[in-house]
Parts: sequence; structure tokens; C-alpha cells
Amino acid sequence: MYVYSEIDQELVDQRVEQFRDQTRRYLDGSLSDDDFKPLRLQNGLYIQRHAPMLRVAIPYGLLASGQLRTLATIARRWDRGYGHFTTRQNIQFNWPELEDVPDILAELAKVQMHAIQTSGNCIRNTTTDHFAGVAPDELINPLVWCEIIRQWSTFHPEFAFLPRKFKIAVSGAESDRAAVGVHDIGLQATRGEDGGIGFRVWVGGGLGRTPVLASLIQPFVPAAELLTYLEAVLRVYNLHGRRDNKYKARIKILVRDLTPQVFADQVDAEWRSNRNVASVLTQTEIDRIAARFTWPEYLTEASPDTVAAQAALEPEFARWLRTNTHAHRVEGYVAVSASLKASGVPPGDLTADQMDAVADLADRYSFGELRITHEQNLVFADVQRADLYAMWSALRALNLATPNIGLLTNIIACPGGDFCSLANAVSIPVAAAIQERFANIDYVHDIGELDLNISGCINACGHHHVGHIGILGVDKNGEEWYQVTVGGRQSGGLRPDLGDAFPKGGGGAAIGRIIGRAFSRDQIPDVVATLMTTYLEYRDSEAERFIDVVERIGLEPFKVAVYGEDQRGRRREVSHV
Amino acid sequence: MSELSFFAQPIVQTRGAEGPRVVADTWYWQALETDASVPNSLTGPTVLNLATWLEQRGKLDDVGVPLGVRLTGEVVPEALAGHLEGLTLIAIEFPTFSDGRGFSVARYLRQQLGWQGELRATGDVLIDTVNYLARCGFDSFQLKPGHEPTLALQQLRWFTRPYQRGYAPLGQQEAA
Repeated sequence: MYVYSEIDQELVDQRVEQFRDQTRRYLDGSLSDDDFKPLRLQNGLYIQRHAPMLRVAIPYGLLASGQLRTLATIARRWDRGYGHFTTRQNIQFNWPELEDVPDILAELAKVQMHAIQTSGNCIRNTTTDHFAGVAPDELINPLVWCEIIRQWSTFHPEFAFLPRKFKIAVSGAESDRAAVGVHDIGLQATRGEDGGIGFRVWVGGGLGRTPVLASLIQPFVPAAELLTYLEAVLRVYNLHGRRDNKYKARIKILVRDLTPQVFADQVDAEWRSNRNVASVLTQTEIDRIAARFTWPEYLTEASPDTVAAQAALEPEFARWLRTNTHAHRVEGYVAVSASLKASGVPPGDLTADQMDAVADLADRYSFGELRITHEQNLVFADVQRADLYAMWSALRALNLATPNIGLLTNIIACPGGDFCSLANAVSIPVAAAIQERFANIDYVHDIGELDLNISGCINACGHHHVGHIGILGVDKNGEEWYQVTVGGRQSGGLRPDLGDAFPKGGGGAAIGRIIGRAFSRDQIPDVVATLMTTYLEYRDSEAERFIDVVERIGLEPFKVAVYGEDQRGRRREVSHV
Repeated sequence: MSELSFFAQPIVQTRGAEGPRVVADTWYWQALETDASVPNSLTGPTVLNLATWLEQRGKLDDVGVPLGVRLTGEVVPEALAGHLEGLTLIAIEFPTFSDGRGFSVARYLRQQLGWQGELRATGDVLIDTVNYLARCGFDSFQLKPGHEPTLALQQLRWFTRPYQRGYAPLGQQEAA
């Protein structure tokens, strides 16, 4: 966990006072709706369909047990007893009253948390992968770099009123688990020619209405120049991004309209002529920030490894090990996923009681820390192998041990029409129906790796574009219908050819394609089932995953299976505008 | 003949040894929708539109009053490069406070063009944006109706130890 300095604490405390004053002025009428709106958004507060929604930041997804207990307290005291973890590693509370929000922010500040810049046209929470710092393949520790970017971006005076929201993701390894290809800026750690550490800078990726893969604008920025380069990108965007049309205002539109070449040249010119020397990072500065983290003190003596024996005795434990535990760079340690995707529970939700119990588990088994994943699950990053059986038993009792990480029923879903005024359709009931249909865990394991993502509207907060299967809620004549896409991936696809002038896609992301006309809600489980049987028919071995088969044989066999040979049942692929 | 207006509006001024304070505006303002001719009688410090300043510079050397220029939302700030001499004030107008281009324009004027004179924020300026404006180089602020200038002084005292380097308000030392 990053431990606040006096300055960190002062900033959040002052922000609470500032927002308390703004809320008072709004409630007494001296601040108009229009003026209050951007100010409250920059404190994560939405006025929603049923009640205000507060989005609390969990910087780079890292949470300490004490912080999680405070989130539980907030859920109980000011909300309805639960919280929702999002695809950007934040947490949302759906029912707080506006008048209570300053007090909630004050409560958060006591445990070094806040809701700063989690909404609004500013730089949002910088995200990374949930194995940051423990994955065996990393060049850098993304947690440190995300904190550096968090500080640089928080209350940045020049970039508080951008044309639109701005999202940055950091990947510490060549193998991208942070979806750098679909962010406004994706940073991928890499080595320069002289062996020094730097970043590949991908710009202009994004999902939403116009899904687009990022372009590699700068193949190498030395680590020391990261902030000066980011400033140059942000300044070009701030000055030249469109402000006439909210749906054309993201940086991805600017990169496309200028062309990546021209955009890169403008950033380069800005960087060279107006570089903010004060923002150059020294090793001392980087070390200072790294030193403020509490790092786990790993035990090096080996304990007898009973895991294999226990797994042989209990097939359910064995199955859970296969999907919900992950490699760790330190011998004897493992990262453990807690699945928030149990059948019948809205994906990503955790009750206050579960939060307290999870905090206890973190204290007992994982150095008091845990991670929120962008797939809406939790990760205990530093668990000793010797504790795995106990961990599994405890998680099972909490309904957090569904062995489905990376599988079909590990559904990512936005809150959808039940909660969100932007939605065209509900998403949670669709997720529930799919989970119920695929309740047979053996079948789900047989299918293997499958990302299924659901968005309730074209804003794509469920990241359906990068699901192997994506489901998008649409409104047709006042009714809820669902489009199905196939073939998306967040990373790991065809590696972009870095020899190209402006390769696209970060870590190998791809956007899914619509397979045909939309379906009603009750048709969806059948459609997914048909896609599965088709996959199983065509796969050449158990090792060939759904996405592999799609990339090998294309969409046609799947379309035929779902819609039949009848041409009238199908429609031309719609290209995203 | 182009119109001049004198508002004597209370403005927040941070420039000068007295520190942040509220004073009455002493400038005359050329109307925005007007031709680019020099106003007939200049009796006090006058803020001209950019078009007037650029087109009439040659005739403005002996006016005997301080001159300023106003930049509106669509203006490309590079237009001012090489045309700063003779100016005492530059005003940047915010069409809406959520249009944040003015912050970068201010940075450009201060950092790249080396502008040392007064830099004023006008238009949709809120008590709540003054702090960020100051850290981008503005040193005077014309607040919008309904936003009390004395309350803005309080906002300037917040976030005095910010994260960002190189964005200290004018006249202030950067926190170490």
C-alpha cells in the first residue's frame, strides 16, 4: 500500500473542505446546477436514475484491509449495504444522499482514500493489471509508476477541463494485462537500445460508441521523461480536441482526424519546444515514491508443500487451483483470485459483510492488501502456498470461490438499466441468465478460456467490444434488444508489427464484430449455448480456445449456427462509425 | 468608432507585493463585436480586441495609455508571438469554465513567449476555478456574476503544496 505523506493527506483533506463548501453553496442556491455539475463530477458524484452514485477511487486497484473496512462502513451507513467494483478498478456506491457526500469523503480521507477525478473531463484513475508487482514477467513495478502518474494528474491545474474524460493504463510487461491498446494513453514498459527503462506510448484507443485501437505514437520515452511527454500529449489534446460534440471529443477522434503521423509530430514539437523541465523524474524521486509503499516481507524458508496432496483428495479444490490461482515471482507464493461472479449475484458486487470478511482474509493471508481487477474480481496477490487450502475454504464460505476466473461465467457486466440512467437495457439479469444456463461447472471448464462481457448501452462500460463474446443492450422501438459480437480481445492477439510506422493495438487487442440482428433477452442464453457447441465442434483440441477457433475459422460458421442458412435472418456487418 | 466600456468591476488581483486582494478594475474594454479601428479617445488603460491590436499596432505607439489585448476562445495564441511589445495586459476569455483551453494558452504565453505582464482570466470564471487559473500563470481574475471575489481569495489559499512541479503561481516559490 502507498502510505500518504503529510502533503498527500493535506491535499485530500483540503479537497473535502472545498467540496463541503461547494455542496453548501449548491444547496443554498448560490451555485447553479450547471456550475455545480463539473465540480461534483470531479469528486465522483453522479445524479442517477434512482439516487446519486458516488465513484470512489482505488488507485491502480490496490486496497489495504483497513480501507476495505471503511468501504464496508460506508456501504452500511450511507448506502444499502453493498458496493460495486468497476472495470476501471474503482468502487461505486449507488444510493448515497447528496447531503451526506461531504461526510463520506471525510470518512474516506481518514483512511487515505478519495473520489477525486473519478468522473468529469479530467484525467481519471490510472489503472494497471491486478498482478502488478508480483507477476514474474515484469520490467518495472507498475504500482510505483501508477502512483507517480496519480500524483502528477491529481489537481493538475492545466488539464482539469479537457474536451472529455481521459484514461491512462500502465503495463509493466511485454505481455499486456492492462488493456493498453484501448485506453486514451496506454504505457507499456520496455527497454531502450542502451538497456535503460522507458515506455512505449500508445495513444487514442478506446471503447464506447466508436471503439478504436490505440496507435503507437512514441516507441520509446525514457522513464525520466514520462511526465514531460504526458504533458505534451495532454496539451495538444487540450488545445485541439473537439469541444463541439461530446461524442467526438475523445483523443481517439483527434488522433484519427489528424492522422497518427501528424498527431505524433505535434506532440513531438510541443515536447521539444515547451518541455517542463521541472517534471523530469530523477531516480531519487522515483525511489522516494517507491519507498513510501509498504512492500511484503516474503518468507524464504520453505514449508512442506501439501497442496498437491490436498488437491488429489478434493477435486473441487483442484479445480479452483487451476483457475483461481496464478504464478508469482517469489518462490512459495501465489496470487489468488476471489471470484465476484457467483451465480445469481450481480457481477462485481460485494456486500459489507463480505468486505469485512475479505479484509480479515487479507490480514491473515496476504499482508493486509488486495487488488481490484478490471474484470470486477479481487486478487490477494501474496499468498503462501501453504495457506491455499485454508484460503479456499474461507472463500467458499463467503461464496467467493467460484472456480471460474477466465471462464465463461466470469462475466464482466456494467450495472446496466437497473442502476444507470444512460443504459438502454438491463445487463445484470442477462448475466444472471447466462450463469444459470451454464451452472454446470464441469462444462464451463471444458469450454475453457472465454471472456464474455455485457454492456447495457453503447457507452460500453462493460467493455463488450473486447470480449471474446460481447453483448450490447440496445433500444429498438422502446424495447430492449441485444446485439452479440464475437472475436474481441483485450490483449494477447496478433502482436502489432512494431516495425510499422504507427502500429495499432497495444498488447494485441481486437474489437469484436457483430454477428447479425439483435436478440431478445430470453434468446441470449440459447445464442451463447449455440456459440459454445459450435466452438466445441470445431476445435482441434482442448488446448484450442474459443478465441483461437474464431481466429482460425472466422465468424461464418458461428453465424450459420446461430441464424441458420437463411439470409433473411442475417444482416450485413455493421461497421462502427 | 468602436465602443469602449468601463465596468470598474471588483476583480481579484494577485500581482504585486500587497498579495491577493480585491480591487476595482481600472481598464476600459473594447466591445467584442466591433470593427478593428482604434477607438477615438483613449482616456485610460484599454483592452483591445486581438484583431485591433494586430492590425493597428503601427498607430498605437503614442497613445499614452497602457494597452491590453483580449483573446477569445477560438483564437490561436501563436498569433501573438512577436506582437507582445507594448502590451501591459493580456486577457483570456473563457466561453464556459469547462472549456479548458485557456489554461494551456496561459501556459504558452508565460512559458514559451515569456510573457511577464498581467494575465487576466475573464468570462466564465468561478470562485472554484481561480486556484487552477493562478497556477497556470493568471494573476488577475474577473469573476462571473454571482461569484463573490472575496470568496475567491480563500480558494487561493488551498492546495498550496500541490503535486505538480513548475506550476507555482506567479510570484510564489515552488514548494521544495
